[in-house]
Parts: sequence; C-alpha cells; structure tokens
Amino acid sequence: MNTPKPFAADEEFVLMAFSMEPNHGRETLERYIREYPQHTTALIDCSIDLVHEPSVDDVQAPEVPDSAVDKAWQRFERTIQQPDAEVANTFAKLSTSSFKSLARSLDVSNLFLMRVRDRAIRASTIPVRFTEKLASKLGTTVQAMGAYLQAPPRMVSGQAFRSSVKPSVGEQITFDQAVQTSQLTPEQQATLKSLSD
Amino acid sequence: MPEPLKSKDKHGLPFTRPPEIEVCLARLEAVDATARLQAFAITSRKSSGYVSSEALMHFLRRAHATGAKDEFKQIFGLLMKRIGQSLFATVSDSRMAGAQGIREEIMGRFAERIAKDCNGRFAMLDFFEVRFDMAFDRFRKSVLRQIGPSSVLTEPLSTDGEAGQEISREVEEAAAEFMGGDPQKIDDPAFRLELDAAIDELPDDQRRVVGLLRQGFQIDSKDPNIMTIAKMLQCDERTVRNRRDRAFRTLNSVLQEDA
Repeated sequence: MNTPKPFAADEEFVLMAFSMEPNHGRETLERYIREYPQHTTALIDCSIDLVHEPSVDDVQAPEVPDSAVDKAWQRFERTIQQPDAEVANTFAKLSTSSFKSLARSLDVSNLFLMRVRDRAIRASTIPVRFTEKLASKLGTTVQAMGAYLQAPPRMVSGQAFRSSVKPSVGEQITFDQAVQTSQLTPEQQATLKSLSD
Repeated sequence: MPEPLKSKDKHGLPFTRPPEIEVCLARLEAVDATARLQAFAITSRKSSGYVSSEALMHFLRRAHATGAKDEFKQIFGLLMKRIGQSLFATVSDSRMAGAQGIREEIMGRFAERIAKDCNGRFAMLDFFEVRFDMAFDRFRKSVLRQIGPSSVLTEPLSTDGEAGQEISREVEEAAAEFMGGDPQKIDDPAFRLELDAAIDELPDDQRRVVGLLRQGFQIDSKDPNIMTIAKMLQCDERTVRNRRDRAFRTLNSVLQEDA
C-alpha cells in the first residue's frame, strides 16, 4: 500500500522513529524494513545497537586538548556566519516534476510559482504567511526564504525561443498583480489574497 | 516544561524524548545556569551527578535560542570534550593512521552541524536529544565513510566467497550453543557482556548476520512472504551462511581465549 508519508523519510528520521518504538525485536524491525526498504542496513545496525545495553564504562582516554575544542569552535563560528548558499539555490535543485508537485502542494499554478522563483514579484508585497508556507515546503527557514525572495530578480534563462531584443530582467510586479495574472482559479486567487489579511 | 522536539513522526506528531531524559531536563531547568554547568562538567558516567549528553544537547540548543551566549559557548566546549573523549576509543591511534586529524575533523563537522541547527534548519539535532550516543555513532560513521575508510589499519579482512562451503560440525555446534543451546550460559550476565562485546568487534557484514540470527530471523525460506536474512541483506543464502560461520569461528576463539 502506498500511504503518503507526511514526514521526511530521511534515514535519520526513520532511525529516530525506530529507536523510539517500545521494542526493537523482530516484528518491529520487519515492519520498518518493509516500510523503508531503502534504509534496511541502517535499520539492522540500529536494531543491533539497541539490543546492547549502553556501556557504563568510562572511556580511558587522555584529556581532549583545548586546542581541539578551539578549532571546533572556530568552525562553528565560520559556519554560523555564512549565508546559507544552499538555501539560495533551493529552487534550482528541484527537478521539473518536483517543481510541479511543489506548485500543486501550495495550490498555485506553475506560472505563479515560476514568478516567485524568478523573483518577478516584489518581495515587500509577498505576505509573510505565503513565505512561511513556501519555507516549510522547501525545508528551509522563513529568514532564509525571505532573503532569497529579496535578492535581485533572476534573468530567465534556458528558454528556447528567438527574440529580436536583448533578453533582460523584467520589471517586478506586486503579489496582487501576480495573483491576478497567473492563470489561477478564482478559488486559488481568493486563498492567496486571504494570506495578506 | 522542556520544549517539545520539532521533528514529527509519520503521524505528524512530534517525537518525544525518553521519559528519563524529560525528568532530567525538568530537574535541570529548575536550577540556574551555573549549577547546570557544574553538573555538565562531570565526565564520569559512574558518578551520581552525571548528566546525559542528550541533556547537554538540549541545553546547548536552548542557550542559543535564548541568546545566552556565554552559557552556549561553555556547554559547547563541554560537549566537544565528551565527544572528543569518546572518539579516542572509536577512532584510536592504534587502529587508524592519522587518527588525531580524523578525530578533529569529526569534531569540526559536528560543530558545523550544530551551527546549521542554530541557523534553524531541519531540526537537525533532535535525534541527539533522544539518543545521543546512537546518533553520534551514526554521524561518526558517515564522516568516516567520507574521509577515512582507506586509512583503517587493522579492520579484519573479509573475503566473501559466494560459493557455499562445507559447514564444519564444530561451527554448527557453536551456532547451536550461541543461539540458545545452553540457556544458563546465555543468561549469565558476564557471558552476555563478553558475547556482546565480541559481536560488536565483528566486521559489519558478519555482525549483521549474527545480530539478525539472535533476533530470531531465519536465513532463508521457500515462503516468499517471510522476511529472511538473505532477503534483507540482499545476498545469496550461502553468503549468509558463510558470514555466519566466519563470525562463529571468530567468536569461538575470542570467547575461549577469555575463558
């Protein structure tokens, strides 16, 4: 049976769910492997680890030098200050079919989502609730999503048509204008407009 | 009340921490940061005041969320010392060339992961508040897969003969004994500990076979509806038997040495 899985079937999430089960014996393991065959090996390892009681013995080891901790701290600081480049490219990573299914799950037309992606819509006019929805669907934060939408509009490339004029980035339109002109049904338009309230 | 975890299970409900960790968090929330840091600084698991790493992770994230910068940095340091300490055992100088560099790289990557979590992405560290050791073990293995496998010095060699070999009577007997032939011995906690430790030392492919046998899975079956070890590991049943035999030979010799 193909039941929709509302949570990410990431290995880590699957293992977390598994380790939270009241028992990790044969039946549970079998159920998980049938449901998540792509994580079979990880699940088996996890089930074996769970059988073993965690060792209460202390590790007999030399003290960890402060310099090692300092190095880790520096890497922490570097990473936390970096603007998240991956997020900027969230849309770029989507395949055509995931782009379409994202549009479906947001209940907007492909054209509308393309305008959002290409930053053809002025960010200041996009309701926060829409940004929130988009961020959660793309697995990113509202801040990162907002930063993406505020960047300069993108040159639309890769389109296969001839033009007698030099391609350029168009004027940005408002969210309301985009809602009206993106082949959306009256219901979809009403839903999107209600987000601004 | 400790803040619930953000990641959700497949029913859309947030994951919950084990009850003993919730209790520990509630107790530590009731005291001030200084008292907490004193407790976090205890490194011996045997000490009565020892606080689990799940709790350290929770308060580290909380310190970031509440802007308690100084507390954050201190917990960060204590947590790094703990994982650094555990890495001495798992990435030991005797087993790997350049072990110190590898340990530092693992710590560095873990620091980056903490940073990403602080930046609010994907609730990445929730698992570490639920089962820290297991989550970290997985993290370590995945980093090692990326940076380390060529430098493993003494990993036992495993040659997987696909063709079935004659299974010796000795191994069959050993198998019967391990898998419940002698219930008294299996129930003996000291023996179990030794057995567990010996199993843990086996190469991955053999450890999986033994682990699954212990859980009562069968190697193969004519019935396609039965989940078998061969099916799970996606290999021929003869390969499974080979791995089992090699594992039992190792276990036999290790346990006899210890006896």
